[in-house]
Amino acid sequence: AATIRTRKFMTNRLLCRKQMIVDVLHPGKATIPKTEVREKLAKMYKTTPDVIFCFGFRTKFGGGKTSGFGLIYDSLDFAKKFEPKYRLQRHGLVEIKKTGRKQRKERKNRQKKVRGTKKAKVGAGKK
Amino acid sequence: MSTEEITEAMNLLSAVESQTQDVTKLVDHLLKKATENEYNTSKGISFLELKYQLLLSYLMNLTYISLQKSQGSSIQDDPAIDRLIEIRTVLEKMRPIDKKLKYQVDKVVRTAASGGTDSSDPLRYRANPENLISKLDDESESESEGEEKKSKIYHPPKLTAMHYEGDETEMDKDQKVLERAKKRALSTSMLRELREEFSEGPTEIRETTSTQRSRAERKLRERTHYEEENFMRFSVSKKDKNEMKRVAGLSSLNNLTHFDDISALTEGRAPQAGGSSKKRKHGGKGKKGKKGFKKKRIH
Repeated sequence: AATIRTRKFMTNRLLCRKQMIVDVLHPGKATIPKTEVREKLAKMYKTTPDVIFCFGFRTKFGGGKTSGFGLIYDSLDFAKKFEPKYRLQRHGLVEIKKTGRKQRKERKNRQKKVRGTKKAKVGAGKK
Repeated sequence: MSTEEITEAMNLLSAVESQTQDVTKLVDHLLKKATENEYNTSKGISFLELKYQLLLSYLMNLTYISLQKSQGSSIQDDPAIDRLIEIRTVLEKMRPIDKKLKYQVDKVVRTAASGGTDSSDPLRYRANPENLISKLDDESESESEGEEKKSKIYHPPKLTAMHYEGDETEMDKDQKVLERAKKRALSTSMLRELREEFSEGPTEIRETTSTQRSRAERKLRERTHYEEENFMRFSVSKKDKNEMKRVAGLSSLNNLTHFDDISALTEGRAPQAGGSSKKRKHGGKGKKGKKGFKKKRIH
């Protein structure tokens, strides 16, 4: 039921991709998930959905219309080179290892008690 | 006279004798040299000449007095004593001048002794007093400090021209306020519609643009334009979120029944400040309660 229209299409040769604004029309329904948008875009531009990255979807007041951004890379290698890590993580191509937020904050507070190069040693001594 | 004094006098007299012998020898030597014109004193310093003349006359008078005393005759009311006193005072007055001239005299003596003046002699150069004055205005600062301390009233600094309203009476001020209120009342929506009703020109139908809405709309349009240009999304701050909610929400419906105050034209008095003022941020008169109900004002 959802219709996808693209606006402001531009071929960015420097970053080996095509970038556009994606308008999704979905009257009476909730916002469509990004994976579905990717599939639809792949069909429109005759590529595989794994080189398509979309983000920034905002639904207009009242519902029914959502607009966001979409990028279609020439190949997955270029995508891995140029895309920011968090977007690659959303597709599962990259794993960002992160210690827990609480752990990071506690480490920071432990570091505050020490001055100079000893700060680097503090993190190791987790109690 | 005691024996100590006698012995002291004898010693002094013998000292005087030996010293006079030396002095006479020196004077004879100088005299011979002067008469032989070995020392040319024509171009000397006149001050020093005066000094030694005075000293000579002083000595002469002194010897005369001591002669009188040794002979036993009294020296009371002797004119020689007056002369001595006069010469003594002049010599005393000459002493500070001598001190001031000391440097010059020494320099001249040195040049005379060395035979000539070296042009690159560092002592020839005089100090330049203009180099000694500091370029900063220290003196003027100290003067102004003294003046400030005199008057302790605080005077604010005059940086820009300020609006002067001293000559306006209370009545004038009220009149001005009333006039402004009248002008504002004339441009309200009610009177504008009345004017359109009675005017003979063609009716213009324009889209109603309320100022707050238009401002918010313009801002939103700018933001979306920027976002689409740069392929990014802004994070909306709480303030902006609340403003958007307010503009698009139910409180904006209250504006339909809100009419401006035209008491300036009907009653001839300026509207109260507590009522409608343009600086109010809220669109309507209602205030939102906890559950979103509006408190109705009972007139």
